[in-house]
Amino acid sequence: MSARSQDVGILEAAKNVLKDTRAVWRVFTKTIYFLFRGKREKGEIARQMFHVGNESLFFMCITMAFIGAIITFQTGLQSKKLLPDFSLMGATYLKLLVRDLAASVGALPLATRVGAGIAAEIGSMVVTDQVDALRMCAADPIDYLVVPRFVACVIMGTVILIIGGFVAYGSGMLVAVVSFDVNPHTFNNFMYLNLGDVAMGFLKCVVYGAAIAIVSAQRGLATFGGSEGVGWATTEAVVGSCFAIIVLNLIISTVGYFLVPGVGPL
Amino acid sequence: MLPPLIRLENIHKGFGTPILEGVDVDVPESCIYALIGMGAVGKSVLLKIVAGLIEPEQGKVFIHGEDITVMNHLELAEVRKKIGMLFQNYALFDKNVYENIAFPLRRLFDLSEEEIQERVAERLERVALPGTEERIPQSMSGGQKKRIGVARATIAKPPIVLYDEPTAGLDPVTSQKIYDLVREEQRATGATVMVISSDVAGVLTIADRVGMLHAGKLVFDGTADEAKTSTLPEVRQFVHGLLEGPL
Amino acid sequence: MSAAPAKTPRWLLLPAKLGTFIMLMAKQVGGLSILAGKVLRRLTPGQIDRHELFRNMNRMGVRSVPIIAATAAFTGGIMVIQAAPFVEQVQATSFIGWAATFTTIRELGPLLIGLIFNGRVGANNTAELGTMMVTDQIDALRALAIDPIAYLVVPRCLAMVSMMVLLCVIGDAVAIGGAMLTADMLLDIDPRVFWASAMERLEPWDFWVGLVKSGLFGIMIALTSCYYGLQTRGGAPGVGRSVNASVVAAAAGIFIMDYLSTFILD
Repeated sequence: MSARSQDVGILEAAKNVLKDTRAVWRVFTKTIYFLFRGKREKGEIARQMFHVGNESLFFMCITMAFIGAIITFQTGLQSKKLLPDFSLMGATYLKLLVRDLAASVGALPLATRVGAGIAAEIGSMVVTDQVDALRMCAADPIDYLVVPRFVACVIMGTVILIIGGFVAYGSGMLVAVVSFDVNPHTFNNFMYLNLGDVAMGFLKCVVYGAAIAIVSAQRGLATFGGSEGVGWATTEAVVGSCFAIIVLNLIISTVGYFLVPGVGPL
Repeated sequence: MLPPLIRLENIHKGFGTPILEGVDVDVPESCIYALIGMGAVGKSVLLKIVAGLIEPEQGKVFIHGEDITVMNHLELAEVRKKIGMLFQNYALFDKNVYENIAFPLRRLFDLSEEEIQERVAERLERVALPGTEERIPQSMSGGQKKRIGVARATIAKPPIVLYDEPTAGLDPVTSQKIYDLVREEQRATGATVMVISSDVAGVLTIADRVGMLHAGKLVFDGTADEAKTSTLPEVRQFVHGLLEGPL
Repeated sequence: MSAAPAKTPRWLLLPAKLGTFIMLMAKQVGGLSILAGKVLRRLTPGQIDRHELFRNMNRMGVRSVPIIAATAAFTGGIMVIQAAPFVEQVQATSFIGWAATFTTIRELGPLLIGLIFNGRVGANNTAELGTMMVTDQIDALRALAIDPIAYLVVPRCLAMVSMMVLLCVIGDAVAIGGAMLTADMLLDIDPRVFWASAMERLEPWDFWVGLVKSGLFGIMIALTSCYYGLQTRGGAPGVGRSVNASVVAAAAGIFIMDYLSTFILD
């Protein structure tokens, strides 16, 4: 415990972040390498996809339902104060949801669930020497463990986030109808939505899925210190994934702001 | 004389505190080399350095004449294909016995399922666990798990085999059986073997050469007979299990 | 070996699963309430170990400041970018200060800080208490006539709640700062204009809502992490499982709390 609770100054902390980013980047490049040049284990990717989908679908649906309700309620309240016109509520909500929120806010509980799982699995294997055993049995741990989880997270994660988006839209509509007497048809308004929004949203889903897998796998592989170490790895996987999502969100949003038109036809 | 198959030069490694401080080991081809010493003296660390799983802070490791300390992870992976390893805590995977033992074969070669079945069955016969393919390692005893580990380490017939405490925690009869297994395997394949053991009497029955680690250095390096009759105080005390001495 | 249990008829499988799930949920909620009761009963100033309290406050709060601050800064920036297209379209640049900060302070700030705090401090707490459980240290405390709840749990709960609120305050400040910076750099909006528009429309109540929420989230994280920590069984893997379960349960609890408080506080 003591070694990890060392007091770190700002400079130390910044150096640690840099070291972390480099470690994560290394895992990422190796994963991409083995994605194309590695040895595929029969059915492993499918199994991982099932695992990711299975363990997160229920949790995500509940979470996104709440989030959709909360967001609509908040916006509605504020709209009431500013311009009590709810006719565009649905349109703006849909645009924001597709372009950003479904992916960015949804990725956080997803990271909590899936990221913790990945780090815990890989971390347990590290502390029981199974990862070293893999290396001695001609199986690179990144090829054997990380690549299937990476593919699963990118594909299944995107699917789950999209489903979550639908759920959030539904619960948002429900709140709008029930609390603000908005006509469902008025709410269901595609007027602001354009292709750029869909592209941005989709890109974010894919990138976040990748980030969750890579960051959590890196933390899992870096586990040390027995069972307590696995607990730490899980913690750092969740925090690291959430942080990566937020940073990537800023980067993609900024690029998107300049390159992908926010206003324009579908 | 042939150059040693495994050569460690001036190995330094520490984890906060220094553990290995200038260790040189030469293991000739087809030799069974026993690495002995008190607990936590760095034997497992040294073995993992040979396997390329740990990087030494200083020093070089030569396998078949190639320095593995300067290799990238792809070259290192190639070298590891020539090494089989039994881990102290078995490190068996979350699969049944058959899949555990078959694992290296699947990764290294493109064999048909029948061939794999044959070879796994042959291994299980050798380690006296016939017919256990469907069982799960978690449900088996420590001795049985160790034997599965031996089967997995040797199934690909690697030219180098490393055994980390193959008999720790086992009763004397099973221990001797495992030592005999290690020697039979080595005689059959001519592999170069390194064995770590705290059971000195047992391992000396099969070792060709012996190295003893103490206080970060190799204090003894010679044949098994020399170890038994050595007058070095550390070696004498350890080999004969005496209470008094420098250890 | 026990005899194989009777097979559930197919049509009962789904209700059976649902029933098991509900029972499990009830058990968690019940357990949490019991723990809450125990903590409340021990809240008299005399019983609280001051040294433990301050040690935990330092560990959990002060050390989390860097990552929370970074998160808040990025979030402020993201909100500006997301609000920008709307503000441009409606030509309401005077709104941007308020638009970007309002959601952050009321909603996203506490939520994100809660999730990261949970992933970091909550998980770590569960790991510590869990390791103490499986190494019999809790029993050892009892044998020394020290009440584990009073000595371990109460200081940690108090520390977590107070630190969450503190971090929310810091987060709010940094988020506004980050938003101001982004608005200046990206949209050429004068920070003073930004500040004015924000102050004009933001009410003190908005800040309070955010703080109350983070306090509630803190309570949720504290109770959940301590509960799962103390429930740990099964050695090293058990600790990993507890950490995983605690992070996920607390995250779900945060979203539920968020939802409830949104409706209650307005």
